[in-house]
Order: sequence, then C-alpha cells, then structure tokens
Amino acid sequence: MEEGYTSLPASHLLGSVPAVIAEDKTTSIASEAASTANLHLFPPSNGGYQAPGTPSGADEQTTSSWQGVFSISSYSSYFNVDTDVVVERIISSVYPMNDFYRKIDGNPDLYGPIWISATLMFMLAALGNFGTYLMKKRNDSSTTWTFDVTYVEWSACAIFGYMLAVPAAFYFLLQYFGFRTSLVRLWCMWGYSLFIFMPICLLLVVPVELFRWIIILLAGIASSWFIAVNLKAYTQSSDLMMLIVGAMVLQFALALFIKMFFFP
Amino acid sequence: MSHSDTIPLHPSSQSDIDEIENLINADVHSVSVLPARPPSPPRVSIPISHSPSPLPPYQKVPPSASPPPVVPAVPAAAAAPAGSSRIGISSDAFGSPPDTLTEPVWDTVKRDLARIVSNLKLVVFPNPYREDPGRALRDWDLWGPFFFIVFLGLTLSWSASAKKSEVFAVAFAILAAGAIILTLNVLLLGGHIIFFQSLSLLGYCLFPLAIGALICMLEGNVIIKIVVVSITLAWSCWAAYPFMSAAVNPRRKALALYPVFLMYISVAFFIIAID
Repeated sequence: MEEGYTSLPASHLLGSVPAVIAEDKTTSIASEAASTANLHLFPPSNGGYQAPGTPSGADEQTTSSWQGVFSISSYSSYFNVDTDVVVERIISSVYPMNDFYRKIDGNPDLYGPIWISATLMFMLAALGNFGTYLMKKRNDSSTTWTFDVTYVEWSACAIFGYMLAVPAAFYFLLQYFGFRTSLVRLWCMWGYSLFIFMPICLLLVVPVELFRWIIILLAGIASSWFIAVNLKAYTQSSDLMMLIVGAMVLQFALALFIKMFFFP
Repeated sequence: MSHSDTIPLHPSSQSDIDEIENLINADVHSVSVLPARPPSPPRVSIPISHSPSPLPPYQKVPPSASPPPVVPAVPAAAAAPAGSSRIGISSDAFGSPPDTLTEPVWDTVKRDLARIVSNLKLVVFPNPYREDPGRALRDWDLWGPFFFIVFLGLTLSWSASAKKSEVFAVAFAILAAGAIILTLNVLLLGGHIIFFQSLSLLGYCLFPLAIGALICMLEGNVIIKIVVVSITLAWSCWAAYPFMSAAVNPRRKALALYPVFLMYISVAFFIIAID
C-alpha cells in the first residue's frame, strides 16, 4: 500500500517543515563560508581542523568527529586572544552604540565570558553580603556582621546558569527560524554583556535604596540595549522582534534579580 | 567410588603439577636461606594452599559435582603452587624486593614530609631557583596541596559560627576546582605547563593564606585580620607569579595571571569575612 501514502494530498507538505528548509539553507551557506566553519561549530570536531568545502552541518552528526570534544587543543582556537584584544572588547561592551558584533566576528573568544562570569559571581557574593550588612545596619544599628555563604552558591547558579542556558536557547530558536548563527558568538556576546554589572555591584553597596534602584535600572537598560543591538545584527530582519524583546526582558530580569536577591 | 575416581585428572596435567611441585621443592631450600623470610616454607603464608601436596584442593570438591569442576579445579590447584613459586622466584630472581614496598611506614611518611618541606621552600620562600620553572617544582607532589587545601577548609569551617559544613564545602570546591580550571586556562591560552605540576604549585602557594586563616581564627579584631590577610595574600600572589607568567606568551601574561589573583583574592575575602 506504499503508493497509497505517496498519493495522499498532504504529501507535498512534507518538505515544508521549517527545520528542513533551514538545513538546506545552512548546507548551501556552509560550502561558501568554509574558512570560518571552525568557529561556527561548538563543540569542535576533528580536533579543531576541518577541511574546507565539507558541509559543516553533516559533520556535526558523524561519529568520527566526536574526539575533538575531549582534547584540549581543539578548544584553544576559542581562546586565541591577547590581553589588549580582551581589554578592547570589554571597553566596547560598555557602550551599546559601538559595533561589538563586528569586533568578535572573526575571532570570538570564550575567555571573556568565562572569567567575566566568574568575577561577577565572586563580586556578587562578596559585595552582596557587604551591602546587605550596611543596609541592615542603617535600619538597625545593633546588627552584627554575618556572612551568608549561600550567596556564593546562589550567585554561581544564577550567573553560570544564565550564561549557559540563555545563549544556547537563543541559538536553537534562531536555528529553528532559519538564521545561521554561531553558538560561540552568542556566548561571547552574552558574556561580555555581563561586564557592565561589575562596576554596578560596587555602586550597589551604597545603602541608599533610591540610589540602588536608579543604578540597577540604568544598568538593566544599558545591558538590554547592548543585547538587542547585537542580536539584531545577527538576525538582520525585523520580523523576529519578539525574540529580541525576549532577550531584552531576560537581561533586565537578571538585573532585577541581582538587585533584589543580593542587595535587598 | 573412591574420591580420587570422581575427579579424573588429565594425564598431562598431572605431569605439569609434578613439574611445579619440583620447582617449589627446589625453591623451599633457597627461600629458607634469606634472612628476611620466615624460616617456614613460603607456602604456609598463602591462604589457598594448606599442604605441600596439591591433592587436598581436589578432595574438597564435592563428589556429586559433574565433570566440569575438573577444569576450574586444575587451574586452582595449579595457581596455588604457582603463586607460592612466584613469590619464591621473585625473591630469588631479583635479589632483594623493592625498598619502598617493604620499608617501615615511618620512613615513607618521613620521605613524603621531607619532599613537602623542600617543595615549600622552593616555591613559597625566596631562593635563587624560583625564577626557573623547570627547576622550581621538578619533584612535584600532591600531598602538600591536599594538606593545605583541607587545612584551609577546616580552619574556615572552625571560624564560622553557622553553616560550618557549607563553608568547608564552598572553600574546598573553590580551591580544588579553581586549581584545575586555572591550569586548563593556561593550557587553552596556548601556554606550556605540565598539568599536575601546575596543580601542585597552585596548592603550595596556598600556604601563606592557610597561615593567615589560622591567625584570623585566633584573632578577632577586623583591622588586624585585614592587615594579616593582605600581607599573606600579597605573599601568595608573589609566590605564584613567576611560574604562571613564564608559562604563556608575554602578550597573554595578564590573561593567565588574572584568574590566579582572582582566586586568591576571593579566598582572602572569604577568610576576612567569615564570622
């Protein structure tokens, strides 16, 4: 009864699933842009080297390429930055108007996201305790210093969870909608967007409630704007406004969470 | 049926057993000459064989067992004399057994302690070989770092008035995972270090902070704590600097050093902040 199925009137719809179209688009683009195919892939395959011309989409599923995941040398292509490059990227992340995405296009790095997240985690834990103590002392001058060690755990989960999950979710969403993005670039961008919260932490220690709220609102807006500008550069169309607005909302929610949990 | 009939031996295996028995009988005499060995034949110390003759293990097999027990019984009996002959042969062939296996425990502990002290002197205290990373920690070990990390965790845990076990867990996790991540960071930046040598060095550089934590536990005043921890933090960073900066390209020196300072500064803050 095989013929019966192929002659069904709905069979012409089989090829119109968006995921299938996206795959066709990606394989055609991949063969043109093979030189930067390395950095589009995460985790790395074939020990970091990929012969030009091979479609990167197919390679991700072949079993021969999984050894690259476990060798350190295949990841070092994501850490190919010098001190001055990192400093320049950090400075350009603070001003949302600069073209950050062009700076990282050729050489996205994972050093920045990892160590900015780690620094932010420690700063939140330390300054959060300090700020909470100052606020309590202001209201009730007999409080003694207590160190809440759960701040370390909460900040680690919040910052690293946000950094791992949100760019990955957006990567899959953008792939679903047919845009060719690179997971490493998304991680790089989101990581550098967290830098602005580091000086903000220092300012949030001041125990004036109004000042704290103003500071965190400004930081949230600046950070969300940074994310929106750079995400727009990747999507290059306006019909995904919901996605961009979603990213902005998430970043703003992170800013609010930082204020409300660590500096109540 | 007699017992010997229920477990029939293959004719060739009997000759093998006789051959092995001859070897043992030859070794018994040579083994008894060595002063380190007990005067009784070595086979007595082996739990699986109870007499010089290999036959008793056969007789222990129940007579109702089917022929397949022949196969496991023969290797078992062959293994028993072979095991004893192995000991006899090893003591005979190599002259004396390896020293570190039979030396007294105190000697081993003393040797490890001496190595910890010498590594400490090389890494943490000023000496002419500090700048040479090849020489500085050539004889690396992980006992020193282990002691210092556990000691630091315990001191912080004792100092804490609440949630002591969480404090220990956080301190231990930060230090242990931090050392591994810092080493991976240098490797990923294209540096040249040996993984365990770097772990060892980062652990030894915790020694000043461990001393600082001990002083802070005994002393309550915040100002004194800040001063002491600042001094020990500077000492730790100074100890770790030459090794880490020599491992990477000079243009990436700051990238490799910053995480080290970050880890030590966060541990220092932890020491001051624990109430």
